[in-house]
Amino acid sequence: MKLVRKITNSKLFFTFIWIAALIIVWEIFAYQVEQTKRTPENVLPHLSGVVDSITSDKKINGSQTAFQMVMENAGATLSRAAIGYVIGIALGFILALIMSLSGIVEKVVFPYLMLIQIIPILGMAPIINAITKDIAVSRIVIAAILTFYPVAANTLAGFKAVRRESHELMYSYSASKFQLYTKMMIPSCIPYFFTGLKISAPMAITASILVDTLQGGLGLGCLLSQSLKGAMTRYVFWDIVFFSAIIGILSFYFIGIIEKLLCPYKKLEQKGR
Amino acid sequence: MRLSKKALAVLITAAMITSAMSACSSSSSSTDASSTASSSSASSSSSAEGATADGDRIIAAAKDGKVGNWGLGNEYEIFALLTKYGQENKFISQAFDMDGFDDGSITLASAMTYNELGLVKNSYEGGYGYGDKVGIIDMNDEGVAMLEDNLFCTKESAQKNPNTVKAFIAASMKGWKYACENPEEAAKIVYEAGSSVSSDHQAYMASEVKKLCETDTKGNKVSDYGKMDEAAMQQTLDLAKKYIKLDDSAAADKLKNLTLDDIRNTSYWEDAMKESFDKPEKTDVSIQLKWLPQAQFMGYFVANAKGYYKDVGLNVNIVSGGGDIGETTAVNNGTVDFGVTWVSNLISANAGGMNLLEISQVYQRSGLVLVYKK
Amino acid sequence: MSAKMNSKRRSAVQSVLLPVAFGGVLITAWQTGLLHKLLNTDEYVLPYPTRILTIISENTDKIMENVWASLEVALLGLLFGSVIGYLIAVFAASFRKLGSGGLTIVSSFNAIPIVALAPVIINWTKDVSPQADVRSMVAKIVIVTIVCMASMSVNAYRGLTELPAFSQDLMKTYGAGKLTEFRKLRLPNSIPYIFTALRVSVPVSIISALVSEYFAEYVIGVGRQIRENILIAQYSTAWAYILVACVIGIAMYAILIAAEAIVLKKRR
Repeated sequence: MKLVRKITNSKLFFTFIWIAALIIVWEIFAYQVEQTKRTPENVLPHLSGVVDSITSDKKINGSQTAFQMVMENAGATLSRAAIGYVIGIALGFILALIMSLSGIVEKVVFPYLMLIQIIPILGMAPIINAITKDIAVSRIVIAAILTFYPVAANTLAGFKAVRRESHELMYSYSASKFQLYTKMMIPSCIPYFFTGLKISAPMAITASILVDTLQGGLGLGCLLSQSLKGAMTRYVFWDIVFFSAIIGILSFYFIGIIEKLLCPYKKLEQKGR
Repeated sequence: MRLSKKALAVLITAAMITSAMSACSSSSSSTDASSTASSSSASSSSSAEGATADGDRIIAAAKDGKVGNWGLGNEYEIFALLTKYGQENKFISQAFDMDGFDDGSITLASAMTYNELGLVKNSYEGGYGYGDKVGIIDMNDEGVAMLEDNLFCTKESAQKNPNTVKAFIAASMKGWKYACENPEEAAKIVYEAGSSVSSDHQAYMASEVKKLCETDTKGNKVSDYGKMDEAAMQQTLDLAKKYIKLDDSAAADKLKNLTLDDIRNTSYWEDAMKESFDKPEKTDVSIQLKWLPQAQFMGYFVANAKGYYKDVGLNVNIVSGGGDIGETTAVNNGTVDFGVTWVSNLISANAGGMNLLEISQVYQRSGLVLVYKK
Repeated sequence: MSAKMNSKRRSAVQSVLLPVAFGGVLITAWQTGLLHKLLNTDEYVLPYPTRILTIISENTDKIMENVWASLEVALLGLLFGSVIGYLIAVFAASFRKLGSGGLTIVSSFNAIPIVALAPVIINWTKDVSPQADVRSMVAKIVIVTIVCMASMSVNAYRGLTELPAFSQDLMKTYGAGKLTEFRKLRLPNSIPYIFTALRVSVPVSIISALVSEYFAEYVIGVGRQIRENILIAQYSTAWAYILVACVIGIAMYAILIAAEAIVLKKRR
């Protein structure tokens, strides 16, 4: 009895309820689509069909099954995403730090940071490609550019959220600027920094997939657009949609776990409530 | 009128969102709405069935706004055709599958003879199985054909590495010849080279591509693979000048004054056919395709697999296309050495300021058709 | 007092003047070809500003038509997405256990790449209207809505739940009901978080509007023009539309910042 209550009280349980509800709704619509469309898998396939396509050992090109193909391409995309993400984080944090140290830099740079997010990726891609002369490098660079804004914006917000009283307190201790940052500013902006990380982790992955579509080669985006363009079964497209969503969510949680490990105070706070 | 349409769009979105918010309870009602909508579109498409002549069919579809094309530089022949029948140059954006054609939202859909048409007609995997229940309007018959898949590089690299260019053409055309003589084997070679197009469709594609390589726009047989037919090239350029609309006035001016000599040079191909070239200056070269690897480009895959490139001292890397860094851009910025594109795309690229040069014309006629349900 | 006013005014002037000056330097470098040397590119891929401006001035009508089309999609999607996102957050904050599970699902939508989401949504909305322009617009708005929803719901949820220490106990001692607690404590506490969310979702709404146009059936919009022109190798024209997209982005962001300044100032 106690166990049942423990299960029904856990957050995971409710997430499962939502997932179950979502699956039911999906299947109702998939059934409806199956009745009215001639190529239901292009609009909304049954989930069983998607699972089948993953487990099936039918080769869809000369040498690979759908699953092998998705995994091979995912490896390429995710490694580019990871490299871009790390570069993006480093740049974002350093920029936020510089902006917080110098109001002038903030005023000059921040509008342009935002601007970089606004420039459509397609416009940047050929230029970055022309500079790097290598599509793989440009893919990493673009993934980095697209991910660093949330980190920079959130971290800066964290620096700013430090209360004036705390500032004055540190001042009264006659703390140096270095002490001010290492003892107070940086620790207190960490939650904000992690918010930025959590937002940008899935973004790094989606950006990496988006950039894949720029040119052929290995990558989930290439595979996705090929499937969409009818070069192979549409189930590969659905496999990638689900795979990328799952990986995106896992990346979010992964960062959450790191945050909990690094910042035990957060855990305490939540328990206290 | 326009305002009310937008209001309608907003209203529909809002209604959809609220219904989605109230989750499962509304699911039955919204599916009802979708099924009635699809049945009404089916009835409206049947009204066009009365028309028989191609002209009437084009006019009817254009008036309904149901002519489809992929756009992105593939639409000029459709514009020429619409103009021929006095219709406004407008099309709706067609996805890369034929679902829009299948569900009736597009009544005249663009299709390449070697690709989409096969999917519509045949019933192998990914096909729609219409068989003889569809008819086609051929751009060649309508006199609005523009040449498609060619072979090009930059003017600069052609001047700098003439022997590489000639060797590449010679080996490629040998590959094309072999592929057209043995389309089934060619299809298999492409499939094994990593193309994920199903082998059935690949075989169909090879047989259709063979026709495009060996027949000209007038229907005559062509035996020289890669030949640049003067008249067909000129027709392509003339139509391009008329239907490529460029917002950049400098580029538009340049387009108006382009001549065939600005976009192609036949001497490389002629020398290649006579096999009069020396050792290539550059041995590692790459070619970017216009689209995904498939039998559309079988000549290059065959030349690679059969060792024709090795025979002339080249090491060739075939780069897949179909992304947003187009083949013209990739060749122009030097990421790849050669490219396959449509002549019209090369024309607009040169008008925009690139320096590209066609060195061979693989497809001798247009592969674009409009497909309709009979 | 007056010195403080002066310094405040000076800082306001600075925050406009400095970026503008930086922009001026950048544009000069661009026009004189210095930027091309730095980036190792040519004036073909990166045309001179004067050429881009000429193209914009020669095609104002066409550009404006595309701008309105994109702007409508971005704004409506942002509006729907933010409202729904906030409502989800409220729901999640009031039914903690059920809600936070739902929040996970909603935020997972963000993990679906937009290049995958867009074709799916366009396929799903095929039946909403027989007119291609109407159903394309619906599809685009829905895409932007979904993308904007996640960041708002996650941030607003934090704003609604991460309350100042003891504030909740204080409300309890006043004997405030749930509704009063929401109105007096949670809602005001969430407002800065709303702006944090908007700072992310305003640029995202524009980007996703532009990307959704690539896939839409009806050919219109700034994003669509950028892609068409890049694919037919018209970089100058593509840049004209890129510049226009930037202006839209800056304008929307500036409005957001102004709104934030006014709202948050009133609260103090």
